[in-house]
Amino acid sequence: MKKGVISLISLALSVTMLAGCGSSNTGTEPSGSGSAGEETPKANFKVGMVTDAGTIDDKSFNQGTFEGIVKASEDFGLEHKYLKPGGETEADYTKEITNLYDAGFKFIVTPGFKFETAIFKAQDRYTDAKFVLIDGAPNSGEPGAEPVVKENTVSIFFAEHESGFLAGVAAALHVKEGQAGFIGGLEIPPVQKFNWGFQQGVNYANENLGTNLVINKENVVYQGSFDNVAAGGQLAAQMYNNGVDVIFAAAGGVGVGAITEAKSRAEQGEDIWIIGVDVDQYSDGIYDGDKSVVLTSAVKKIDAAAYDMIKAELDGNFPGGQTITLDAKSDGVGLPEENPNLSEEVLSQVDEVFNKIKSGEVTVSAEQGDLIK
Amino acid sequence: MNNSVKSLLAVLFGLLAGAVLMMLTGHNPIEGYQYLVQGGLKNPERIGNTLATATPLILTGLSVAFAFRTGLFNIGAAGQMLVGGFCATAVGLSLDLPRGMLLPLMVLAGFIGGALWAVVPGFLKARYNVHEVVSTIMMNWIAYWTVYYVIPAYFKGDSVETESRQLPANAMLRESWLSDMFQGSYINLGFFIAVLTVIIVAFLINKTTLGYELKAVGFNRHASEYAGIGVNRSIVLSMFIAGGIAGLAGVAQYTGNASSIQIGILPSQGFDGIAVALLGANAPLGVLASALFFGLLYSGRGFMNAMTDIPPEIADTIIAIIIYFAATSILIERLIRKLRLRRSANKKQED
Repeated sequence: MKKGVISLISLALSVTMLAGCGSSNTGTEPSGSGSAGEETPKANFKVGMVTDAGTIDDKSFNQGTFEGIVKASEDFGLEHKYLKPGGETEADYTKEITNLYDAGFKFIVTPGFKFETAIFKAQDRYTDAKFVLIDGAPNSGEPGAEPVVKENTVSIFFAEHESGFLAGVAAALHVKEGQAGFIGGLEIPPVQKFNWGFQQGVNYANENLGTNLVINKENVVYQGSFDNVAAGGQLAAQMYNNGVDVIFAAAGGVGVGAITEAKSRAEQGEDIWIIGVDVDQYSDGIYDGDKSVVLTSAVKKIDAAAYDMIKAELDGNFPGGQTITLDAKSDGVGLPEENPNLSEEVLSQVDEVFNKIKSGEVTVSAEQGDLIK
Repeated sequence: MNNSVKSLLAVLFGLLAGAVLMMLTGHNPIEGYQYLVQGGLKNPERIGNTLATATPLILTGLSVAFAFRTGLFNIGAAGQMLVGGFCATAVGLSLDLPRGMLLPLMVLAGFIGGALWAVVPGFLKARYNVHEVVSTIMMNWIAYWTVYYVIPAYFKGDSVETESRQLPANAMLRESWLSDMFQGSYINLGFFIAVLTVIIVAFLINKTTLGYELKAVGFNRHASEYAGIGVNRSIVLSMFIAGGIAGLAGVAQYTGNASSIQIGILPSQGFDGIAVALLGANAPLGVLASALFFGLLYSGRGFMNAMTDIPPEIADTIIAIIIYFAATSILIERLIRKLRLRRSANKKQED
């Protein structure tokens, strides 16, 4: 009997404690958001984002897009929000777009080709909303369907092959003599273009800059997913065991596994490297305090793309109806600004190549041609 | 009656725990739940979407529950669902028949596909006593990689390499009158298939000799054998039916809710089916109710995120907590029993 009373009292106490701290929290919260609202009276639209497969901190597509949105929101005082769909079907995506729209978020950014069909329908249904589709063009999904970009939508692509090309040149110049490998996620156009560009870059350096970096057929692999971290580690281990010196991993979470494998090898004194993708992955490869196993990264400036579109909307010149390809010329792709692992000499040579791509002196093909895979 | 009280308690505890979590993170739980419910039921479109979200869950939950009732733990609903959906998609993409013939054929193909996928673990269990938990999980991965290979090789999409071709409208479970009725929702005939299946399974389990035999094997294999029931046959048949129901979930998901099949993903509904079955106390009608509840949670979550500052991760956590309480409803039962025992013991002492 006594025991029961005591447990009841303690339960009641803990509940009131929880309730107490809950109410104090809820008390402060509205005032916080209120002050944010006071600073920013001019904003007349809210920015929403729906994430693709994976989390918001995927160190890749979702994160890059969201960072651009956050930065723009801070600079221009906009409200922003992201929603994570429950699955990867068109219905899941459409549902979240509707949720954002109903909640008043009428500038919606969606990263990834998987949104193509959902945006195709949304742009007709919500004509007073604006859509930014990164890495895809809205289409009906039917066989042979032509992309349709309506007045309230912008479709953004990147010249991944140019970014991969620069990474290939940098890798060849740094390693000089040895082997390179490539790990891809799914065998989809953006990843393929990274691969083909990388191979062309290595070949370019071998032919024009006196390096001898070899890519063997068995060291060009598409893992088949973007989230199998363990498989990424295994593939990297296999390649390093085969004598590969530098791996270019364009594979999301699979690449994270590869970087982890590279780190553990570098810690044991092996002289191997890895190249990151999409965003500057230098910090992911840090070991022993300040050294990083990430040589450089083949960057797509996704954050800048999202930022620029929000800015354009604010300035009243949203490029609706257009399909934009961001390439070296528009500084939409390239290597990170800081590359602590590359020497001055290598960097200046890479810069030279970058300028040649810009000027059109060097052209990088987006097609496979006679390249591997 | 006891079971439904238990399940309702589980839901209540789950919602309370979710509310505490919202309060701890500085959000208003009443507002949160209000938008959660609105997100699922605010207008006809949202109601339709909630029903459509619940459809595969009804079927996977029913599959797991049916297997449970016959003493088998079917963790392979995800794989069976994938194979069922794949078979239906393959039929839909390959055959050019009038809709009235094509749809039943697709549903049948989905049922058979899922059923055959589950028969293998059933046979291994009956013949060699291989535990079905292990073998059904393995079958999940076999399904995953089979689809992974076959879709790009034979049914590759035009624009996207990681999906099958889009099904023609003729070969989909969507009906325009149904979508119109729910104002553009993606609800489809799959929902009616699910409800019909619930009724059939309820009848099968509760009213037929076959159902009685299957249940008897689940209660006690040796006693059933002694009573003259063909135990091995029953196990294989149970898995066949359970797999077939999961296969129907695949039909509803891939040819109704979605219009193509993606590679590289095991459907999460397969695993949620376990929670649905647990919350539904393994009874067909209970499964229907709990799947609808899950559908509401999943469907309304996004609107809650959009209208409040509750981040999506917290919403996922809240759902996970509710599932957790549902899954541990047996603990609630023990708690009640303990309280009762203590009370009667106290009474005796006082006397």
